[in-house]
Amino acid sequence: MLLNAKGLQKVYGRKGQMYTAIRAIDLSIDRGEFVGVMGPSGSGKTTLLNIMSTIDQPSGGTVEMNGQNIGAMNEKELTMFRRNHLGFIFQDYNLLDTLTIEENIALPLTLSKVDVHEIEQRVHQTAEILGLDELLNKYPYEASGGQQQRTAVARAIIVKPDLIFADEPTGALDSKSATTLLQMLTRLNEEETATLLMVTHDAFSASYCHRILFLKDGEIFTQLDRGRQSRKEFFQKILDVLSAIGGEASDLF
Amino acid sequence: MTFFKLARRNMTRNFFHYFLYFGSMIFSVLIFFTFVSIQYNDKTQAAVSDYVKISTVFQLASIVLFIFVALFIGYSNSFFIRSRKREIGLYTLMGLQKKQIARMFFCENLFLGLLSLVVGIFIGMLLSKFFIMVLMKLLDSAVTVPFSISLLAVLETVIVFLVIIAIASLYGYRLIYHIQLVALFHDEKKKERIPKVPVIQAAASLLFIGVGYWVVLLGPNSVIWKNLGFSKGAFLILLCVIIGTILMIRFLTAFFINNMKKRKRIYYKGTNIIGISQLSYRIRANARILIVIAIMSSVTLVSVGASYSFYYMVGEWAKNSFPHTYEYLIPAEYQKSAESLLRDTLRSEGKRHKITSRASVPALQLEVELLELDGGAAEFYVISNSSYNELAARYEKNDRIQLNENEAIMLAKFYKKEFNRSYMGHNGKLASIESYGKRGKGTTVHYIGYKRVNFSCSDTVVVSDTLFKKLSKTSNPLMLEQIDVSDQEHLGKSDDQFKNAMTHLEKNIKGKNGYYDAGVFSFYGIYHDLVVAYGLMMFLGAFLGLVFLFATGSIIYFKQLNGAAQEKTQYTILRKIGLTNMEIRGTIAKQIGFIFALPFVVGVAHSSVALLALSRMIESNLIVPVVICMGIYAFIYFIYYLYTVRAYSKMVES
Repeated sequence: MLLNAKGLQKVYGRKGQMYTAIRAIDLSIDRGEFVGVMGPSGSGKTTLLNIMSTIDQPSGGTVEMNGQNIGAMNEKELTMFRRNHLGFIFQDYNLLDTLTIEENIALPLTLSKVDVHEIEQRVHQTAEILGLDELLNKYPYEASGGQQQRTAVARAIIVKPDLIFADEPTGALDSKSATTLLQMLTRLNEEETATLLMVTHDAFSASYCHRILFLKDGEIFTQLDRGRQSRKEFFQKILDVLSAIGGEASDLF
Repeated sequence: MTFFKLARRNMTRNFFHYFLYFGSMIFSVLIFFTFVSIQYNDKTQAAVSDYVKISTVFQLASIVLFIFVALFIGYSNSFFIRSRKREIGLYTLMGLQKKQIARMFFCENLFLGLLSLVVGIFIGMLLSKFFIMVLMKLLDSAVTVPFSISLLAVLETVIVFLVIIAIASLYGYRLIYHIQLVALFHDEKKKERIPKVPVIQAAASLLFIGVGYWVVLLGPNSVIWKNLGFSKGAFLILLCVIIGTILMIRFLTAFFINNMKKRKRIYYKGTNIIGISQLSYRIRANARILIVIAIMSSVTLVSVGASYSFYYMVGEWAKNSFPHTYEYLIPAEYQKSAESLLRDTLRSEGKRHKITSRASVPALQLEVELLELDGGAAEFYVISNSSYNELAARYEKNDRIQLNENEAIMLAKFYKKEFNRSYMGHNGKLASIESYGKRGKGTTVHYIGYKRVNFSCSDTVVVSDTLFKKLSKTSNPLMLEQIDVSDQEHLGKSDDQFKNAMTHLEKNIKGKNGYYDAGVFSFYGIYHDLVVAYGLMMFLGAFLGLVFLFATGSIIYFKQLNGAAQEKTQYTILRKIGLTNMEIRGTIAKQIGFIFALPFVVGVAHSSVALLALSRMIESNLIVPVVICMGIYAFIYFIYYLYTVRAYSKMVES
């Protein structure tokens, strides 16, 4: 088991004006899984992701990864842990404008002080997988949204992280770029055995996952396993669950 | 809601920007007011006016200060308005007309201006006394300065700043009028491609600066300077160095940064990639400000360094030209009375001043033919060979001379190497003052030496003992008195007292001997004149220098913090990717360090060369005063750096 979270809880605000984002969540992820997290706005998706990805601290409960208790780490250890074991993909790409595509991809390796030749080799290898080899010398603003997000993916996977967190990765993309990206994530999952945790409110994106957790009001409402179903059948199931949860219509598509 | 209320609400919201703007306004008012207060202060006038025309010197400096203050306020004003672009855009979207917004900003600006005027003048009143006291100390005047307020200074400050504030407010009004709504919502970060670096410009920058330095260091005796003349030469140097500086900061730095980027071994190491890429991305936006600051630092360091060096050298220069506290010629029979005059004067001052050394040798005062000047002559001392040896032994100089018959040595005060030819081996004439120029009178001497006089205040001819004896018969024998007094730098009024008494005595002597005309050489007289002149210069230099330094520091500070607001998102990304706070601080410290160091290094280099040339010109070693100045400058500048790094990190981390 790669990640094991028990009794997670997150409360915002002070006395009198408490707001519970996450009530009590148990969750575990195995190596090589592609897990989706869905739910209507305000159901605690992003909070859950932030806690598991060490960006935020839970008010209660523990997160264990690779058998290490994340809650017991200090700021520096956490940062190092993020750097060496986790990968991130954000909705708005979060690339550095001042770096070329190549440099953006290389960034995590340079921070870990990897040898120059190895950096260059791995950047080219990764860029090839994601179809970025033609763009390496361009700056982010010269690339399309899909290309920028693929750069972000490349940056996330280049350290060969144990777990990749993706927060609405297709949120800012048109449907064609989104499809390309999802196919690439699937390929990474299958061929490179990358473990992925993706937060999305888009059923189409979610249908690429193996397993989906549905959150409602800070709790796991239900879970769906894709099993041997085709993507289309799975997509239909997802829609059913979503309407059962009663998310806003605009959240579905 | 009235405009006034809206404007007031604005101020509380945008506190940080207001604080910076308000701070720089107050600072400007403060220094200007302090300066004119000093200018109009009675005590300063009194302390200086005897020697220097204080009003013209101060007027000139206050014009420099005025121009500078106007520019500084203009800069902070436009920075202030630009930093609030988004706010203006928001008002426009809410349906306020540009006219209304502009009017609101105008009111606000006026209000802030008036407030800072009041606050600035108030603090200035407290500070001006301190600065006047500093000035008095520098001028070596023991005057107590009472707290006083000069209405004239208040009036001048108010008028000057009302004009500046009105212009700044109008400028802001216009700026808002011409802002496009679309532009207001654009990301302030322009998507700028990293400039391609033309190697030619980068190389040219070194060439220009090199030529400038070379011409400076050639010195005014070189062929180039002689052909061009001083003003054209200085202009050529300034032009070369300024063009070189502009090209260097524009292109050479970009060239170096791009080169670093190509060296992946360095570039791909730790956080270097972040720092270097940000620098290269921002070098163009920062170039103009860095150029201005580099040039301003150079000017500041040169003027402060030079004025302090002069002040520092004053004692040495005075000692060089007047090696003794008092030196005079006097008939032997009056020697005692002159001495007791001095003792009486010193005694009246208590125990501060004591006679530490007193030498007296027989001397003559003769008209001496100036061989370097055709037909010219002047009154010189004439002493004997053995007197010279006696004085040399007394003042610990190892040279002894031996002159025979009519041999002589010229000890020149305004020694020039090229005059050596005129004296060595040539014959010159000596004659008593009354008989000089008359046919057949006078004695011819043969010069076998020509050197700088180093223990007397006057030009002196040394002749052989036998010749001196012969000359004594035809002229009035006198005694040369050389007296040293302890703490001679602070003789003050006693100096005048003694000199007056001596003038009186001289008149008595003159009544009996019509040709006696010696006068007293006094160290303190020349020293005090120099201290007042150079002390004033140094005060102005240091005052303006400090103002420039604070301004340069503040400008970089503004500029960097403005950048921090834009770069906040970048650092958030970096933290998520896995950059520790320490690493973020480190890369910020390096980037800002580069921005601070570049103009400083350029300024130090430029000013060092200029001051080196100066020290060669005035033949004095200026290393100590220059190092002191640069040290103080660097220290204050470094504090600005630390402050900027801290504020930047805080802004980025929050």
